[in-house]
Amino acid sequence: MRDLYRRLGIARHATPKTIFRAAERCDNHSLKADAMCALGDPARRRDYDDLHALLSDLGRLRAGLGMTHAPHWQGDAANDFSPAPERIVARQELLTNKLEIALRRHQTRWRRGAWLTLAIAIGLAAAYAAGRWLI
Amino acid sequence: MAPACFSAFELLLLKSRYQPDTASLLLLAWVFVNKRVALAEDRRYLEVLANGYRHSPDLDTLLAVASADLSAIQLAAEVLLRERVDAQSHPFLRRAIGLATSDGAPSLRNHYILRFLADLSGVTPDEFARLFREVTGRALMAPGDPSRHVYWQDKATEAPDAAAGDATPRKQPAWQRWRRRVLSARSRRRRQRREREQLRQQARQQREEMLRQARQREETRRRDEARREQAQRREEARRQEQARREDSQRQEEAHRRQRAHQERTHQRERTRQQTAGERPPHYRVRLALQVLELDESASRIEIKRAYRRLAQRHHPDRFHGQGDLRVALASQRFQRIKNAYDYLMTTV
Repeated sequence: MRDLYRRLGIARHATPKTIFRAAERCDNHSLKADAMCALGDPARRRDYDDLHALLSDLGRLRAGLGMTHAPHWQGDAANDFSPAPERIVARQELLTNKLEIALRRHQTRWRRGAWLTLAIAIGLAAAYAAGRWLI
Repeated sequence: MAPACFSAFELLLLKSRYQPDTASLLLLAWVFVNKRVALAEDRRYLEVLANGYRHSPDLDTLLAVASADLSAIQLAAEVLLRERVDAQSHPFLRRAIGLATSDGAPSLRNHYILRFLADLSGVTPDEFARLFREVTGRALMAPGDPSRHVYWQDKATEAPDAAAGDATPRKQPAWQRWRRRVLSARSRRRRQRREREQLRQQARQQREEMLRQARQREETRRRDEARREQAQRREEARRQEQARREDSQRQEEAHRRQRAHQERTHQRERTRQQTAGERPPHYRVRLALQVLELDESASRIEIKRAYRRLAQRHHPDRFHGQGDLRVALASQRFQRIKNAYDYLMTTV
């Protein structure tokens, strides 16, 4: 499947009027006919957008997993829906990092509580001393 | 503070007994959510699976996550990719295909999702088509392309048929419903049976493999032992042979030495008899030789050796620190030995 929005050079949430004008301006006759057929009718456009969203998701997923050149990701779909290469974020590593942070917080909660109590006590003592000195 | 950081699926994953199970359940839920029609039978199938994976109360959460959260799906895919649980015979991919095609051809969305899962399991297109035929009994068709007007024309021609197909159950709803239920039950049973058979076959293959490995190990062990025994026997034989040869050599040497010694003593006696005639040595000489613990036929070299030995043994410095008496006795003995040696050296 092709990304008609991309090939026509319009936004994904373009109004029907914009689509019509872009299709009029298009030189490729078959692309023009396909765009008018698929995007002209609201019900068809809904179906098309549904699949379009899924393929964009899949393209992002594959980019994140490093599977943009897999044997099942060929042809039009691969050409149009593979996002530009960006920094790959491994969700599993994110999860382990989060776990470590949570664990550290859990382990140091007593120490942090003690520091907080100490700071509050010192502040109270300072306020008391300042009050005595002023009055 | 900390628990708020984790998403619903991350919490499930952290709590799960075996992470790949949870991940594959989420991906199956993703397939289920993207079906054209969600059948009650498929939902029951998922419930059974979730029950087996100890996730029975979490199925609704998983379904909600699968329809909304892309990062959770990426996490699940990473877990599956990391663990490589689906490398042999692809049980997960079979399940996904079965789930997607339980109501006929898979939906367009599921076409792409199944191909994504096939890539995740490392299945080539040919193998995927073969798997698809195996599971569904139908050939794998290429997905339709809504970006071409041919797709919409085909759909428009199909639509009246579908409308007609929709009209019939309205006419006979009762028996149609009953027939559908029977058919779905049969397909479910068939799927379960197929899965069970696959599992049994896998187990049998594993057992055979293990048996064969054990037999091979046994054989190699026996061969090694035999080789070792042979080597030991050969080694022992060689050692015995060597020992025998050494024994014979030693005996010969001893014989030779004895003979040489006898000859030497004979010669000495002869020379002494020649020089001294029949006369025995002077008594002072005999006394001195007694002091040096030698017999009368001792040569100069032997005397020297004996003197050195005895001087070392009886030297007064050896008894230093053990009392004056012992030092005095030792010096007396040493003096006597020295006198004897001097006398023998001057006379003999």
